[in-house]
Amino acid sequence: MSTQTRSPGIALDYVKTIGIVNNGFNGRGFANPYDIVVGKDERIFVLNRCDPARAAAIRIGICTMDEDYLGEFGKGNGTGDGQFVWAVAMALDSQERLHITDEHSNRVTIYSLSGEYLSHWGKSGSGDGELNGPAGIAIDSADNVFVVDQHNSRIQKFTSDGKFIANWGSLGSGDGQFNLPWGAAVDSDDNVYVADWRNDRIQKFTNDGQFLAAYGSSGEGEGQFRRPTSVAIDTDGFIYVADWGNERVQVFGSDGAFQLLLRGEATISKWGEDYLASNPEEQAEREVSNLKPELPAHLNTPYHISSQTEPYFWGPVSVSLDGRGRLYVTETNRHRFQVYQKH
Amino acid sequence: MINNETALMAHLLRRAGFGANRTELEQYLAMGYEGAVEALLHPSDPNNMPDDLIRRYHVEQSELRDLAGSAAYWMYRMISTSCPMEEKTALFWHGLFATGYAKLNQARSLLNQVDMFRHSGLGSYEDLLVELSKDPAMIVWLDNNENHGTAINENFGRELLELFSMGIGNYSEEDIKECSRAFTGWTLGNAEYMAIRAAKDSIWPYGRIAWHFDYREEDHDDGEKTFLGETGRFNGEDIIRIIVKQESTARFVATRLFQFFAADVISEAGEKAVQAMMEAYFSSGYQIREMMRTLFLSDYFKSEEARFARVKGPVEMVVGAIRMAGSYQNPALGIEKVSNTMLYMGQGLLQPPTVEGWHEGSEWIDSGALVERVNFAAKELSDVSSPGVRSIIDRLAATANQGVLDPSDLADGCLDLLGPIQVSDETRSVLVEYASRNGDLDLSSHQPGDESEQRVGNMLRLVAATREYQLA
Amino acid sequence: MTSNKREKSLIVIQLSGGNDYLNTVVPYGNGKYYDNRSVVNIPQNKVIPINEQLGFNPSMGPVKALWDEGKVAVINGIGYENPNRSHFRSMDIWHTAEPETIGKEGWLGRAIRDMDPQGDNVLTGVNFGRGLPRALAVPGVSVASVGDLETYGLFPDVQDEELRMFTLEAFSRMYGNTAGRDPVMELLGRTGQDALLGADILRTAPAKYSSSIEYAPDSLAQNLKSISQVFHANLGARVLYTQHGPFDTHSGELASHAKLWDEVAGAIGCLMDDLKEHGTEEDATILVFSEFGRRIKDNGSGSDHGSGGVAFMIGGAVSGGLYGEYPSLVEAEQIEGDLRSNNDFRSVYAEILEDWLGLDAPSIVNGQFEKHGILKS
Repeated sequence: MSTQTRSPGIALDYVKTIGIVNNGFNGRGFANPYDIVVGKDERIFVLNRCDPARAAAIRIGICTMDEDYLGEFGKGNGTGDGQFVWAVAMALDSQERLHITDEHSNRVTIYSLSGEYLSHWGKSGSGDGELNGPAGIAIDSADNVFVVDQHNSRIQKFTSDGKFIANWGSLGSGDGQFNLPWGAAVDSDDNVYVADWRNDRIQKFTNDGQFLAAYGSSGEGEGQFRRPTSVAIDTDGFIYVADWGNERVQVFGSDGAFQLLLRGEATISKWGEDYLASNPEEQAEREVSNLKPELPAHLNTPYHISSQTEPYFWGPVSVSLDGRGRLYVTETNRHRFQVYQKH
Repeated sequence: MINNETALMAHLLRRAGFGANRTELEQYLAMGYEGAVEALLHPSDPNNMPDDLIRRYHVEQSELRDLAGSAAYWMYRMISTSCPMEEKTALFWHGLFATGYAKLNQARSLLNQVDMFRHSGLGSYEDLLVELSKDPAMIVWLDNNENHGTAINENFGRELLELFSMGIGNYSEEDIKECSRAFTGWTLGNAEYMAIRAAKDSIWPYGRIAWHFDYREEDHDDGEKTFLGETGRFNGEDIIRIIVKQESTARFVATRLFQFFAADVISEAGEKAVQAMMEAYFSSGYQIREMMRTLFLSDYFKSEEARFARVKGPVEMVVGAIRMAGSYQNPALGIEKVSNTMLYMGQGLLQPPTVEGWHEGSEWIDSGALVERVNFAAKELSDVSSPGVRSIIDRLAATANQGVLDPSDLADGCLDLLGPIQVSDETRSVLVEYASRNGDLDLSSHQPGDESEQRVGNMLRLVAATREYQLA
Repeated sequence: MTSNKREKSLIVIQLSGGNDYLNTVVPYGNGKYYDNRSVVNIPQNKVIPINEQLGFNPSMGPVKALWDEGKVAVINGIGYENPNRSHFRSMDIWHTAEPETIGKEGWLGRAIRDMDPQGDNVLTGVNFGRGLPRALAVPGVSVASVGDLETYGLFPDVQDEELRMFTLEAFSRMYGNTAGRDPVMELLGRTGQDALLGADILRTAPAKYSSSIEYAPDSLAQNLKSISQVFHANLGARVLYTQHGPFDTHSGELASHAKLWDEVAGAIGCLMDDLKEHGTEEDATILVFSEFGRRIKDNGSGSDHGSGGVAFMIGGAVSGGLYGEYPSLVEAEQIEGDLRSNNDFRSVYAEILEDWLGLDAPSIVNGQFEKHGILKS
């Protein structure tokens, strides 16, 4: 079974895997990463959602494509300034300030890329500008901030310091309606895309919220989704979707036509190699093991298959792009991300 | 005066489930006792809290790397299921086959084993033992991955006979050896890599890799074996086929089921029920479901003697209180604290202390555990904002005379709706006296969270603190 | 200043997760240490020297001060044969004193039972933290598990004091009569009464306590403060247990290990000062242990589970010094990359049981073990 299909429109080559699980202490590695943004200087910022047991370690980790771990920042777990409880997604504005959503505390927190806490905004509620479970976040070329307000079933548009501008959406499966939406992105025309999670589709809107198109339906086939969590659009208009429930990534043309899908093909990262070098008996056994084994019939869902097949995506919760045609797939259950190069 | 049909149904639901609130009780009463037994024994769609929702918010339950998240994941299932007997059955087998996190460091494989109990736990004991022998968590737990044709390891073979079927005295050391030989080659995929990761609790580099069964033919000793007087080139399934035929196996299964579902102690009358279960075991082809039907329909089970004849285990205590209060209906932060509470009470899900499982019955009670038990149930059931507690308040208001309850009504009403729970005269008089502190209770115009509702909460708290509430 | 001759008490501090021995008692004089620990090491000039070869982790200032007073016994290379690198299994082994088979009773639970066979004093053993550690667990032996001494007891969430009093009073009456009941109801009655009694008594401890010592706000320091309150309230508590962690420093070890030991050493320092102030330094002995040490070679950011660790006994009645042998770092003498222990932990248990608590050790630790001679006669 191939993990990638080729098509004339686009090709994505696997580059490498970066990451290792970090139990929550300071140092290299990630702990249930939920999103990635890449800065102009190509530093990679990874949002670690962490689990309650390691909540004190909730932070943003920084690394490079060469797998140098540059450090981390954050103020830990809680509702104080700069703290997070359930962090979901990040976006960069034109000043390279990092905006991060917290779906438990109903707020957006802003940090500088050097790790300095700047401010936060957001109030619980369902009125205009109020938030109930902010998940995805995207910022357009005019620094408008779009927040996916998941429990209010809508998208809200704000200025970059949180002043309400507009919103649209309601609960449902019709055009412009949402069901627990998750990720958001803008394209180079400042159109807004939303991963409409429980409706198993992607929706596209103008910058003012006018419905333009919907892609996908429920299922495991090409062009179908099971709980898509994230969407990204490159400068050529290709649409990348994190098809979380199917443990894969799909790519579409700007017209929504299916191009290819990725199942993941992770290899050992540098930090992983360091670990194995200090644990030679484990390395020896790993070397003679089959990391893509034949599985018995009852373990046949993508989720179960990925739990046992290390190279495959497991919990691909976010797709991110940089300015060099690279795709970053954040895998929350594997504490790593896989990098692909488009050409 | 407690209505006997209602009391009996509540008793059935405490045993075949985690107790029932009045709405659930009424649903089962509408089926009649036999109908309810059938419904419970044929779990269909449990309608659990959806997996995708759980995993979206609880990353640790998406990954199931560690104990805390994994125990909490099982808690969500127990809390939200509409097929409680399925979860109770899984809990029963989990305690009996006592496979623990301690050695495996693999929560997912444990939960896969629990899932196997859900779908095979009421079927044939023969099939269940075969599935258990192929279960990777069990294989590692009892070292069957170290059981090779060239060098047998008797751990699994021994415990299969001693702890999972016939019991000591019903087989010889030779039988253990032959049994172990038959299970050589029954291992897991990438066995050596998985074993070293388990021993080191390795989560590197990329978290855990889950397990699956693998049969290594070249490692299997397929020579002739003599087991319990029968001879042949037995493989594991053949051994199990012989094991389940034995009366001692029938007695073992019947006894354990009885102690978990009927009473901690087997009286003379209880012994009759055990024997009837043994007969059902044989006549049905080793079907657990048949044994359970026999038990639930038996005179013993329906008799007064069986009422409140068990001490609730911590899981029953916690899940029961939560289901009654109607809390945790959606994924929420703090669920792991709840599953940790069961650990503080002495029963950590997925971590039975030894291969012998938990020591149940009165051994659940020590002063530390009792304080935790009382405090948890008292807090849960006194929260007037929880849907289940509000439902109790509404029912009390509806059945009261013009919405007014005198102290006896309040005490009796709470005892009824939390069960019905049978208490001694002494206990009841304390409850009534407590209620009379503030005279009659007027619920006719109660508002969310007001004084009158709090009074109901206070009474519920005290009922949850009674000795009788500790019993199932 | 010592008044009444009181019975000796044992205070146990469990370091959960596998404390890194090599960075606690640092063999800074041994080149192999720096060879193996190329990243995760304590530089020579940072170590607090004990002698030319060994020194304490820089965070252990208060422990060094006690060492200088001769009150710290360092038991090097402690462990058991066939080391187990699983947290749970290894901790169970320490808790039940059974390295070979699965133990079912905690060694301190047995000790409590032997000290108080009739269960006359429900506070003979007290655990500070929720959930009873296996070390203290034996069926029928009452041990309170105190999460927070100030609020310990029944119905802590009831804010209204009057309501709480009424509820407790009702509870007491409901659990009061046990005559002529079935055994389970009787057991519940007795246990409920024990719990109430224990809570009532424990609640008096903070009020009786006065001290000039200021304990740090971290959980260990606060637990040791509670231990001091209960100990000095003369409630007959002979075994007081608590734990701290997590010491499972697989990554980012230097920073986290330093912080943990800062807390541990600080808390122990405060407790010892407190004992001194009360004149009870000779009446309590502190045992500090962990379920295993960590691997000799680091993994670039931290260290992984190993074997062979260090334990401490601290107190006025302790003969300070180095006990056991510091394990060799020579490759041929390692166990699969781990330190080889050279003395059995049950020796320490036996000594504590016999020479400190006055009990019969062999029946508790399932065997005879040679003592180190740490407790002054």
